[in-house]
Amino acid sequence: MTEVLEEKTTKLVNLTIDNLEITAPEGTLIVDAAKLAGIDIPVFCYHPKMEPVGMCRMCLVDVGMPMRDRDTGETIMEKGKPKIQFGRELQTGCTVSVSEGMVVVGYTEKVKKGRQDILEFLLSSHPLDCPICDKGGECPLQNLTIGYGSGESRFDLEEKQHLAKHVPLGDLIWLDRERCIQCARCTRFQDEIVDQPVIGFQNRGRKLQIVTFSEPGFDSYWSGNTSDICPVGALTTADFRFGARPWEMQASASVCNQCSVNCNITFNTRREAKSGGDLVIKRAMPRQNEEVNEVWLCDKGRFAYTSVKKDDRLTQPLIREGETLVETTWEKALDLVAEKAKEAGKEMVSLVGGRLSNEDYFNINQLTAHLGGKSLLNSEMAGGDLVSQVGLGTGSNIADMGQGDAILIVASDLEEEAPLFWLRVKQAAERGAEVIIANARETRADRFAKYKIRIAFGQETAVILSMAGAKEGIAVEFLADDAKVKAAAKVFSEANNAVIYYGSDGLGLSGSEELSKACAFLLSETKHTGRPNNGLVAVWNKANLQGAWDMGFRPSETLAADLKNAKFAYVVGNDPASKDILEKSLKDTDFVVVQDVRLSETAEIADVVLPAQVYTEREGTYTSAERRVQRFYPAVPAPEMTKPDYKITAKIAKRLDLSLEKIAASLVFLDLAEKVADYAELDYVRLAEVTEQWPIIGRDDLFYGGTSYQNTQGLGKQISPAIETETIKYEAFVPSVLSKKDEFLAVPVTTLYDRGSTMLSSEVLQPRIADPYVILNTADAEKLGVEAGVQISVKLNGKTANVTAKLDDSLAKGIVLVPRSMGIPISDPGSITIKAK
Amino acid sequence: MNALLEKHTKDIEDILKKYPEDQKRSAVMPLLYVAMRENGFVSKQDMYDIAEIIKVSATQVASIVGFYTLYHDKEGGKHRVQVCNDLPCALRGSGEYLEKLCENIGIKVGETTEDGLVSVESVMCLAGCDKAPMFQEQNPDGVFYHEDQTVESTLELIEQWRKQEAK
Repeated sequence: MTEVLEEKTTKLVNLTIDNLEITAPEGTLIVDAAKLAGIDIPVFCYHPKMEPVGMCRMCLVDVGMPMRDRDTGETIMEKGKPKIQFGRELQTGCTVSVSEGMVVVGYTEKVKKGRQDILEFLLSSHPLDCPICDKGGECPLQNLTIGYGSGESRFDLEEKQHLAKHVPLGDLIWLDRERCIQCARCTRFQDEIVDQPVIGFQNRGRKLQIVTFSEPGFDSYWSGNTSDICPVGALTTADFRFGARPWEMQASASVCNQCSVNCNITFNTRREAKSGGDLVIKRAMPRQNEEVNEVWLCDKGRFAYTSVKKDDRLTQPLIREGETLVETTWEKALDLVAEKAKEAGKEMVSLVGGRLSNEDYFNINQLTAHLGGKSLLNSEMAGGDLVSQVGLGTGSNIADMGQGDAILIVASDLEEEAPLFWLRVKQAAERGAEVIIANARETRADRFAKYKIRIAFGQETAVILSMAGAKEGIAVEFLADDAKVKAAAKVFSEANNAVIYYGSDGLGLSGSEELSKACAFLLSETKHTGRPNNGLVAVWNKANLQGAWDMGFRPSETLAADLKNAKFAYVVGNDPASKDILEKSLKDTDFVVVQDVRLSETAEIADVVLPAQVYTEREGTYTSAERRVQRFYPAVPAPEMTKPDYKITAKIAKRLDLSLEKIAASLVFLDLAEKVADYAELDYVRLAEVTEQWPIIGRDDLFYGGTSYQNTQGLGKQISPAIETETIKYEAFVPSVLSKKDEFLAVPVTTLYDRGSTMLSSEVLQPRIADPYVILNTADAEKLGVEAGVQISVKLNGKTANVTAKLDDSLAKGIVLVPRSMGIPISDPGSITIKAK
Repeated sequence: MNALLEKHTKDIEDILKKYPEDQKRSAVMPLLYVAMRENGFVSKQDMYDIAEIIKVSATQVASIVGFYTLYHDKEGGKHRVQVCNDLPCALRGSGEYLEKLCENIGIKVGETTEDGLVSVESVMCLAGCDKAPMFQEQNPDGVFYHEDQTVESTLELIEQWRKQEAK
């Protein structure tokens, strides 16, 4: 049982807990050692992911140590055994570490009495409203009261405090002040784990309460986690409060498809009258995977499920009749699609989005190849091919990185682009890893980065090449001479292990491609490839872009022309027509087929629309940015007439004399594994394997790690980079010099809470969406006479929009940050005009 | 704009000078006193301003205000009478003293007199049990202890404050 912890330390000690002789690594806390041995010591304030504080006193145990002779220092023996001396007082098991010969007792009357007293105090003003409390059924206070509590209270009922019961701490989390037992798990999480102390304690003693003074309230992407680890029903989430009882719900394993981290989640579902007797998702909880998301989720991932609505789903194939789309049968729709595809032959293109499963991509690519068409990816980021060459080595786990290792973040606002990556890198920094950050502006990752290289937008590639010590004529000199760059380069090159996260901050497709090449080159030059915890991570802005690359899809610099010249466009899971330029091209495409779950803008101009299924309704796999292939499972039934994408594609293929698997995703995966070399060793059974994880959470115990779910349905498998040893050459460097004559340069950046369809269609997340905005340098704003928060008029790519002005001191002059999917379409850096109103 | 910093630029800069570059957050307590100087309490805006100056969250500043009885987040009287009502003081009659005092000046614990001169609060240990009943007076000039009090002596004191005010 101790293997999990053993790896990290060397010295083991022997001790006895409740008469069980166990071995545990030195320094382990008593509560953890007991947990490893299968003994539950009840806790409230202690959480295995946080520093112990010993606040609640629930984990009281009797601790004895072997007696030593004062003169000789020898252990005193009694009846052949060391004589044990117990302390006068009980001790908190969460603050005492184990040591050789220690004897811990948790079952005696003395201990029981101690715990009873603590519970009695905790309950002295607890409302005991379990029948209407969301935590009821998975509440440690409830469980422990059954275990240790007395049947009646000695406290005067009249003296009970009556406090506010519905306090919104922002839009996502509600606080019930009466239920709070002041364990500080939530405030410590916000401070210690995510470095955002936007909730805190106010006042003292019985008056102590949790408050937030941030604007908006509880302003953090991580707030949902505090509800998971709250040991009572004090913090509840806006989506789930008063929604269902834990015991009524089923659990189904899934993978979050909001970003490329691919956090493991569990959907809790219930059949209910309120939803017309349907099985519906009631909440999303973290599913433990210590190599991916541990026991955490960001709020967008947690609440994203609320954006899927029954009403706006496509449920029937549609076919164009003149100006309108009319419902038709699958047979008719598929026959027409196949006929047109055959006519187009080589002149067909498939255009896919970044959230399809590997099985979908595989089938679509097979069909496209069969016709001789182009497999295109609607994405503004490149480098997936290089990630498959020099991506993270097999067996990588950022949690293993620390002292002596280096992590380089370039062109990425990591928390906005992939929150969990940010968290994992932060933790690596706390373990001693040297974090190097090369960004054109300040981000939250700067707070833990040791080397902060402030570059200009457009210098991303140059800084990486400078670090690689690229030969003359390649790198831009002033960067290579910069002291900070030199120091960072040295640290990176000398690190035992090194990982690069490159993002898309300020980059379009071509910039991203150059940067990815430079990063691969740097890794290759410094020999940080082909080993665990070494390699390249592309911080994709969609869940399965790496999978799309692996299955053969590529973004195109000339997408508009590709679509325009195509006779047949097969658009799956993306909405190109939402961009003006692509909409124009699509109008010139002879025949457009859209396969999607909603009637998108592209669907509205399509010739045939095929209704697909949402990922919560079907099976499949995603490949994360760390190239971990993970399975997701169906949670709820799909609308009757819809089909999973891989099946629709297979049905079209069949009409074109190509046999593709359509029965089940697992079978498609077998074909895929045969044809895609990197996936050769995988199958659905292997992907469903689990191994013991630490800390132990989510089981039928006295609450320890929170209500996150234990992982029983698969940790996934990380696939190895295709070429583990080959060196990468960097040949062409075309510095993407940005035009200086523009008064203002607009650069695209990513914000987690954008105005994309997930955010806009979720009633829970909606209040957190900002109005469309751009960010200006403070000095520029002053010159323009623009103050923070005022409306300004911007003109970009021929389109004018009114947006809010935000200011950022860390920006270079002349730069305007334009968030993607925030009302103003932007794909590449470009000129922008700004007018004060 | 940071109103607090603008109003007390020199004082705040002097305070900040005492702390190392990476530990400016430790200046929170003296800065709170600066904020309290004006109106005897820390307004919500003051908390945001201080948070901005020392780069912590406003919630953290509010936590500190809430923790110490010497900081106030609500407007009170010019003289805050903070009566210790812990067990040893209570045994020496501070409970009765507090009750009677309030009755005499016509307010409840936690309230302020209409003229804004006095507010009465009940607080935890002030380390003056041997001279209880006692209270701590907080006024714009500082903090003062008044020990071995009777309702009469305190009323007399309040009368003096009133006279000073009238001058």
